[in-house]
Amino acid sequence: MIEVINLSKEFVLNRQQRKELNTLEKTALAVDNISFKCEPGRVFSLLGPNGAGKTTTLRMLSTIFKPTSGTIKIAGIDAVSNSQEARKKIGFLTGSTGLYARLTPNELIQYFADLYGVSKKDLEERKERLYTLLDMKEFQNKRIGKLSTGMKQKVSICRTMIHDPEVVVFDEPTSGLDVITAENIIKLILDCKQQGKTVIFSSHIMSEVDLLCDDLAIIHKGKLLFSGTMSTFKENMKAENLTAEFIRIVHESQNA
Amino acid sequence: MIFTIFKKELKDTLRDRRTLMMMLVIPMLIFPVIMNVFVSVSASFQEEAATKKIKIGIVGAPNNFLQTELNAIPASFGNKEVILYKDTLSMLADLKIDSLQLGAYVKSDFNLYLDSMKPAPLTFYFNATDMGMQERAEGYMKIIEEKAIQKRYLKLGVNQEKVKPIETTYKNIASDKEMVGKLAGGILPYIFIAFGFIGCMYPAIDLFTGEKERGTIETLLTTPVARWQILFGKMGVVVLSGLVAASCALLGLFLSIEVLDVVDNKEILNIIHSILSPSFIILLYSLLIPLTVFFAGVMIPIAVYAKSFKEAQSIITPLNIVMVLPAMVGFFPGVELNLVTACIPVVNIVLATKELITGTLDFSLVALSFSVMFVLATLAVFVSYKRFDKETNVVM
Repeated sequence: MIEVINLSKEFVLNRQQRKELNTLEKTALAVDNISFKCEPGRVFSLLGPNGAGKTTTLRMLSTIFKPTSGTIKIAGIDAVSNSQEARKKIGFLTGSTGLYARLTPNELIQYFADLYGVSKKDLEERKERLYTLLDMKEFQNKRIGKLSTGMKQKVSICRTMIHDPEVVVFDEPTSGLDVITAENIIKLILDCKQQGKTVIFSSHIMSEVDLLCDDLAIIHKGKLLFSGTMSTFKENMKAENLTAEFIRIVHESQNA
Repeated sequence: MIFTIFKKELKDTLRDRRTLMMMLVIPMLIFPVIMNVFVSVSASFQEEAATKKIKIGIVGAPNNFLQTELNAIPASFGNKEVILYKDTLSMLADLKIDSLQLGAYVKSDFNLYLDSMKPAPLTFYFNATDMGMQERAEGYMKIIEEKAIQKRYLKLGVNQEKVKPIETTYKNIASDKEMVGKLAGGILPYIFIAFGFIGCMYPAIDLFTGEKERGTIETLLTTPVARWQILFGKMGVVVLSGLVAASCALLGLFLSIEVLDVVDNKEILNIIHSILSPSFIILLYSLLIPLTVFFAGVMIPIAVYAKSFKEAQSIITPLNIVMVLPAMVGFFPGVELNLVTACIPVVNIVLATKELITGTLDFSLVALSFSVMFVLATLAVFVSYKRFDKETNVVM
């Protein structure tokens, strides 16, 4: 379960950033007082155009960023005051995540298992299951730098799931991947749902959202424009399809 | 957790060819290569100088004192050929085209000056770009003048001892070890500082900026490991790399001396052996560890702040000059470790190492140097921690 209450994030802008953003403001509000809840066994999608605040929100959920104000609860743990405990419950995967190219998949998985304090027995069991599921055995001892994008993505998935997290955070996980490679991620999300895990993912690919999510939130310029179930969203749609409706909501908020 | 991160970062670093080159290969090879080249070049120059036959032109009367005495100087002082010229113009022209290495002008009545007990004028011409020619002329003249003086004493019937009122003897009380330490002792800490810095540089950039650039830091920060533990694990590898690079450079220097036999003077070799005692090495490392931590602590905030490998490199490389330049103080013989110099970072380590080598160590000053470096290293680590804890610096 993820509970987000009145979450805000403000960044202090340095001179160069102010110049780049063409503003005189000394701070920028990336996330503005948003609240939502992600239930276990359901897939929650965070939608928004580029620069909407999706990545900042997910980085706060995964404790990389500290919120300026608000509360985040991950599996009942306060992720702001007890971030280290909360991290044990989180699996984090982004489309832009790199891997240590000079290590082998085996070494990388061992490293992350050590960091998460996974026991040897659990590690062996999970490794066996994930390697078989993702068909990774063949390249487990090859340097990651020499693997194909698809193979690397499999290693990333294995790394995310090795500590069996209760909550899985995906930040645009399929961005830059071809459809075949992206399918691994889709399968993973569905698998997590089936196992009763809480899944949150950000995307702007509406077909993916339609396929996977049970609940969704639309965020634009840091503000929450919609939060509810997918069925409610579809019922109240004023445009003909999901993409058109998403664009309509964003434009409407800009004109308001 | 710190050790888990340290182990992984070390493995990662040891698989990076660029870091390996800077950490192991270059420091290890630089001294054997440089010293070998230096020794063979200087040996060939010495050989050439010893066997080179120089031509000395003289404008003056035939069989003048200078010509006779020059010819009388044995070949062990250098091979030479004396040629008599009729005029200075042709002699200078030959000197210019290097068919002559030294030219001397004496008046036609040069011998008369000497016989009449007057100072006989003599001008030597040489080309300063032809190294060592002035010294060669001065060497010859010392012998010839001494002979002329002896002749005059004889002619005047004066006892040489009577015109020399004081017989001065200069005795050096410094041991050979002190001499070597004072004159060449600055080299050792300089090597350590220069290579320690370079050794820290690449891992610092790779483990901080590189991780940011490759997008791996984000995942690492979502693990249940405190940021200070991540920082310490990585910093440990940076410090170790600096120490390994410096040790490799020293090992390279040691190998050049021991295996390649670049030092053929047995006395100097014995002094070097007596300097490199286990207690000296322990004391040296105890001074150099805080220095390397200080280097790492200075580089890490930059590496954390930089957005790309190139940016980090462009900031840290000039810093190399700022850090390593004070190490050159060790080459100046007059600068000693005192209450002031013991408080100047880098300079204090160089001077303390010099004192260690010479054996003229004042432990209170060494302790002060160590304390200064320890405080600075702690401060640098704290700054690194603050930078690393700043979320906008760590994540792109």
